[in-house]
Amino acid sequence: MEKGQKPDRKLNRRDFIAGMAVTLAAAGAGAAALSPLIRAEEIPPLEDVLQKHYQRLTPEEKKAIFARLEKRILATHGVQATIRDPQPLENAHFAYALNIGRCIGCRKCVYACMKENNLSRDPQIQYIRVLKMKKQGHGIDLESAVHDYPQEEAGDKNYYYMPVQCQQCENPPCVKVCPVKATWREEDGIVVIDYNWCIGCRYCQAACPYHARRFNFAKPRVPGAELNPNMGYLSNRPRFMGVMEKCTFCLHRTRTGRYPACLEVCPTGARKFGDMSDPDSEIRRIVDKERVYVLKQDLGTVPRFYYVFAK
Amino acid sequence: MNNSAAGSSGDKNWGLVLVVPACAVLFILFVVFTLATSDEPTVAQPLEPSWFTPTTARGEDLQNKVMVGSCYLCHAYWTGLPDPDVVRPQFAHSAIQLDHGANDRCYNCHLIQDRNKYTANDGSGIMHTNVEQLCARCHGLIYNDWVAGTHGVQRGQWMTPTAFERQNFKCTHCHDPHAPAFKFEKYTPPPVWPEQIERQRAEAPPPSEKTE
Repeated sequence: MEKGQKPDRKLNRRDFIAGMAVTLAAAGAGAAALSPLIRAEEIPPLEDVLQKHYQRLTPEEKKAIFARLEKRILATHGVQATIRDPQPLENAHFAYALNIGRCIGCRKCVYACMKENNLSRDPQIQYIRVLKMKKQGHGIDLESAVHDYPQEEAGDKNYYYMPVQCQQCENPPCVKVCPVKATWREEDGIVVIDYNWCIGCRYCQAACPYHARRFNFAKPRVPGAELNPNMGYLSNRPRFMGVMEKCTFCLHRTRTGRYPACLEVCPTGARKFGDMSDPDSEIRRIVDKERVYVLKQDLGTVPRFYYVFAK
Repeated sequence: MNNSAAGSSGDKNWGLVLVVPACAVLFILFVVFTLATSDEPTVAQPLEPSWFTPTTARGEDLQNKVMVGSCYLCHAYWTGLPDPDVVRPQFAHSAIQLDHGANDRCYNCHLIQDRNKYTANDGSGIMHTNVEQLCARCHGLIYNDWVAGTHGVQRGQWMTPTAFERQNFKCTHCHDPHAPAFKFEKYTPPPVWPEQIERQRAEAPPPSEKTE
């Protein structure tokens, strides 16, 4: 400062304005940096954060959680849903058989699954992936398979169509890698996920050799009019952003004795589902009598999903 | 601060000229973002009902069937015994395209004496509700599979397979008996993938083994 000006003044006008500008800029920049938080699509309520692991819940706690979820679904989708929690059946061991000789690749199973399991429509998530591969020469050659063939290319006699979904392995690699034990194998052979416990690290997605697990990169969107109100806590209740999900053989249906949705919609009858421990079941007959193979047998995952070659 | 004050003692204070508008812009951005995050309802493309509704391959066919009712309406009075050499049916049945392999005679399956019925091996009649017994005359192995549940479409309950809780379909729900090769042409669109992993090598030649 030059002499002659007011020496006793500690803060001059110029410095004040500059200081205010810098402060305001810092505030603005900070606010702008934090603004994505305000736009966060989903911030879980405190009750969800404090919720215990599924396997430690008592029946009363479960009841309270289901009521809370139903209330939330009514608010977000306008649908009065019922959330159930069917337990694994006694001595049941679910298995699935799919006849590749019959599948025509119409992909109705894919959309029936989306409908039944309330899969996200807008960032599209599908559990079933139908592979199309040439019959001549290479047989089941996953390297040359295509999973997004246009619909005019379905029903071609020169190609195999092989739907791949969760194989419900007996030795599941996805369960081994989960760092928080949010996924486990139930008594009846179905691998399930606790959507509230999952931290979204996607290790299981990397570990699955069948690419059967899906991640909710965005908030899953399902129109309320299409929401399936018959929900299972471990299967098709609405998922959150940032959690894994996968095929559960429609356990809310199969554990109450119904067929999975993909089987019911299949027009060719290529899909068969049943209880392996029942000696009279159709799945047992297929595995006993037909030419059956499992996908990527050499990995030792022991899938419960059998592919059949038969007319 | 001292530095900036010294630097700004010139004609124009460039620091302020830049900082103040920048901060104004950031502030406006912040306000806009904050206001724009109202709760938007979930908008997503609905699925087409035909994609996920269970159908059988001949569902529509059977609904639009032309020949319904009793065959006696014509065959009791006006039509005589058939000429065994006629392969192509005439008059009311001319729309039928027979494509059943070596089985190219109408009365292999249709009973001559009673047109409401089908022919059994012993010459007696099979009612339409038991049409699978007609098919079983030739396709016995597949019939066995169908009885066991491994051939054909099933819906309903797998756990309590009593007759009423399990919806079982007969041969003619999916196969046209006059042209029994399986036909189903209602396909559905492919998945929507992010652009990076869209179809690249749909018909790519298999690697290196193509020399033979």
